[in-house]
Amino acid sequence: MPLIMVVDDDQDLAEMLGIVLNGSGFEVDLVGDGDGVMDIFRANTPDLVLLDVMLPGIDGIEVCRRIRQESMVPIVMLTAKGDTHDVVLGLEAGADDYMVKPFNPSELVARLKVRLRRSASEPISSLRIGDLAIDQVAHTIARDGKTIPLTRLEFDLLVALAKEPGRVFTRESLLGEVWGYQHATDTRLVNVHIQRLRSKIERDADNPELILTVRGVGYKAGSAGPVGTSEK
Amino acid sequence: MTGLLRSWRRSILFRVSILTIALTSALILVLGTVLSNQITRGVYREKLAASISEADSLVNYTQSQLDATTYRTDIKLKTVLDNLFHVGDVNTNVIQREVILIPTPTTAKKSHLYQGSSNFLDFSIIKDDLRTKVRKHTTIQSQYLTIKYLTGVQLDGIAVGSTIVIPNNQEYEIYYLFPLTQQKQLIGLIGVLLWIFGAILIFLIALITWYVIGRIVRPVREAAEIAEELTAGDLGRRLAVRGEDELGRLALAFNEMAVSLQQQISRLENLSRLQQRFVSDVSHELRTPLTTIRMASQVLYEARQNLDPASSRSAELLIAQIERFETLLTDLLEVSRFDARAAILETHEVNLTSLVRQVVDQLHAPGDLRIEAPDAPANAAVDPRRIERILRNLISNAIDHSEGRGVVIKIAQTDHEVALGVRDYGIGFSGREGERLFDRFWRADPSRSRLRGGTGLGLAIALEDAQLHEGTLKAWGRPRQGAHFVLTLPKSPGIPVSVYPIEVIPEDAPSTTLFEMDSDDI
Repeated sequence: MPLIMVVDDDQDLAEMLGIVLNGSGFEVDLVGDGDGVMDIFRANTPDLVLLDVMLPGIDGIEVCRRIRQESMVPIVMLTAKGDTHDVVLGLEAGADDYMVKPFNPSELVARLKVRLRRSASEPISSLRIGDLAIDQVAHTIARDGKTIPLTRLEFDLLVALAKEPGRVFTRESLLGEVWGYQHATDTRLVNVHIQRLRSKIERDADNPELILTVRGVGYKAGSAGPVGTSEK
Repeated sequence: MTGLLRSWRRSILFRVSILTIALTSALILVLGTVLSNQITRGVYREKLAASISEADSLVNYTQSQLDATTYRTDIKLKTVLDNLFHVGDVNTNVIQREVILIPTPTTAKKSHLYQGSSNFLDFSIIKDDLRTKVRKHTTIQSQYLTIKYLTGVQLDGIAVGSTIVIPNNQEYEIYYLFPLTQQKQLIGLIGVLLWIFGAILIFLIALITWYVIGRIVRPVREAAEIAEELTAGDLGRRLAVRGEDELGRLALAFNEMAVSLQQQISRLENLSRLQQRFVSDVSHELRTPLTTIRMASQVLYEARQNLDPASSRSAELLIAQIERFETLLTDLLEVSRFDARAAILETHEVNLTSLVRQVVDQLHAPGDLRIEAPDAPANAAVDPRRIERILRNLISNAIDHSEGRGVVIKIAQTDHEVALGVRDYGIGFSGREGERLFDRFWRADPSRSRLRGGTGLGLAIALEDAQLHEGTLKAWGRPRQGAHFVLTLPKSPGIPVSVYPIEVIPEDAPSTTLFEMDSDDI
C-alpha cells in the first residue's frame, strides 16, 4: 500500500484525510506541524506528501523546498487560496500539484492516484529528445551518460512531449495528460513546471532547445539536436 | 488660434487682461478723438480771430492809404497797390498772408479796373457766397477755404474779406488769405503725441492689470492645481497660506477642507479594507472546516446503504447542502475580490466557439440547444477561467429558464470584438426585474431559483468579469417571451468595445423592451 504523509496542523482535517485515504487504500502518516516533517520524512520515506501551505512553525512552502532538496517524491499542496501568490510559490518550491479547499474527496483521491501511477503505456525503449536519453523503465534521463534527476511529474511531462515530437501540446491537453485534469484552465501549473523542467534539462533555460514554446498555443518537443532552433 | 481660445476659456488672467486692453483702447480712442477735435477747433478759432483782427487793421490801413491818393495821381495809387500785393514770395517758407483784390460786379462794368493778387493766386477760390456777404455787410467777413496757386500748390486757409473804395468811387472787394499751415502742423503734432500717449497708457494699464489680476489669480490658480491633485488622489497636498486677507482665509479654509477630506477618506478606506479583509478572511477560514465537513459527509454518503432511511436521506441532504454552501463561499470570495479590486485578468488567446462547446458539453445540455457560430474561429485574448464562468452561468441560466422551449447560442465577431448571445424562449423577465437582474443576491422568483441551488451572485459576477475585460454584458427580456443575454468582449484587452456584433434586442423580439447593464451604469 502506498504511504502518504499528510502534513496539516488542523487535527480534525488531518484525521478526516486519514479516514478517507485509508478507505481508498492508502497508508497514512499524520504530521501536525512543519518542524517535525523532515525527520519523519527521512524515517518513513513516504510515496507522496500531502502538504498544507499554512503551517505553524516552518511554513508549507519551506517544507516543500526542503523535501525537494532531498527527494523527488510527488508533493501535492493543500491551500485555502486558489488564486494567490501561494500557489505559484508552492509550485516553484517544487510542488507537483495543488488542491484548493474545500476539495471533493474523490477528486483528491483521483489526483493522488495520478501522481502515484507508473506509466501504464508500453515504454518505448529508445525515446530521445535532443541529446537526452530517456529511460522509461528506470524513470531516468541522461545526457552523455550522466543522469539528470527529475521528479516523476517532470519526467511524465518530458515523456508526454517527447513521445510525439512533432505535435504541439496545448496547456490544457498537457493538464489532462500529465495531471489528469478534465476541464482545467489553470495554466500556471503547466507554465511553472515547464520552467522547472527547462532549468534542469536545457543547456540555456532562457534559450530553450528541447522544449519549445509555440506562441498562443502551447509547447512542443524540440526536433533538432544540440544546436536546434531556439524560440524567439 | 485654438491655443488662444483655450487660454481665453481657461485663464482668468488672460481674459481680464484682454478685456481691459479692449475697453481701455475704446475709451482712449473716444477721448483722444474728442480731445483732438476740441484742440483743432480751438486752434482754428484762435487763428480766425487773429486773422480777422489783422485783416481789419490792414483793410483800414490800406483804405487810409488809398484815401490819401487822388484819381489823378496814378503813380501814388500804384505804389499803394504794389505795397498791398507785396507780401512775400510763395517759395519762401512762411507765407503770413496773401491778398486778392477784385472789383465788385458794379465796378467791373466801368473802366479802369484794378484786379490782382499776391503770388499768382487762383481768383476762383473766392466763392460767390463769400463775395455776396462781403458786399452786403460793412463789417469784415470770413470763411475757411483752400488757397490755390496757379502753380498748383494748395493750402488750407482762411479768407477774410471786406470792401474797399479806391478814389473815383470805384468799389473793390479785398480778401486777405491766411494759410493754416502752421496750425495744421501743430494739430498734427498734437495728434501724434495724443496717440503715442494713448498707446503708452494702454500698455501701462494692461501691465498694471496683468500684475494686479495676476497677484489675485495666482493663489486661485494654485488652489485649482492643488484641488486637481487632491482629486487625483494626492491627499497630502496643501495650499501655502499668505496673510490674513480673503485669499489667506480661502487657503486656510481650503486646507481645512483637505484635511477633513483626507481623514474621511482614510477612515472609509480603512473601514472598507477591514471589511474586505474580513470577508476574505472569513471565506478562507471557513474553508478548512468545510473541507473536513465535506469529507465527513462524503464518507457518510458513501456508507448510506448501511444506514436507516432517515439517516441515509440526511446524508444525501447534507452533501447537497454542503455543495451549495461551497458554491456560495466561492462566489462570495470572488465578489470580495472584485470589491477589493484584487481581481486580475490572466489572458490567453482562446477560441470562444470551442469554449462554448466545451461548456455546453460539461452542462449536459438538452438536445434543443443550438449553437450558431461563424466558420472562422472566434479568437480573443481573454481570461479563460472568467469567460468560462460567464458562459456557464449564462447557458445554465438559459437552460433552467427555457422551460424546454429551446436555447440558441450565437457567436459573432468583428475585427476587434467578439460577441456571444444566449437566447431562450422561456419565462423571461419583466422590466422591473430586468433592472435588478445583475444585483447581488437578487432573485426574480426566490422559490424557483433556490430550487436550482443558484447563489444569486452568478450574474453579478458575470457582469464584473465582463467589465474586467472592458466588455459589456447586456440583457433583454419579456415575461413568457424569453430572455436574451449578450456578452461583448474586445479581442485584445485594454481596448473598450465600440461595435456590437450582436444586438441585445433579439431579431425575433415581439417588441422593443430593453434592460441593460454595462460599464457605464456602475
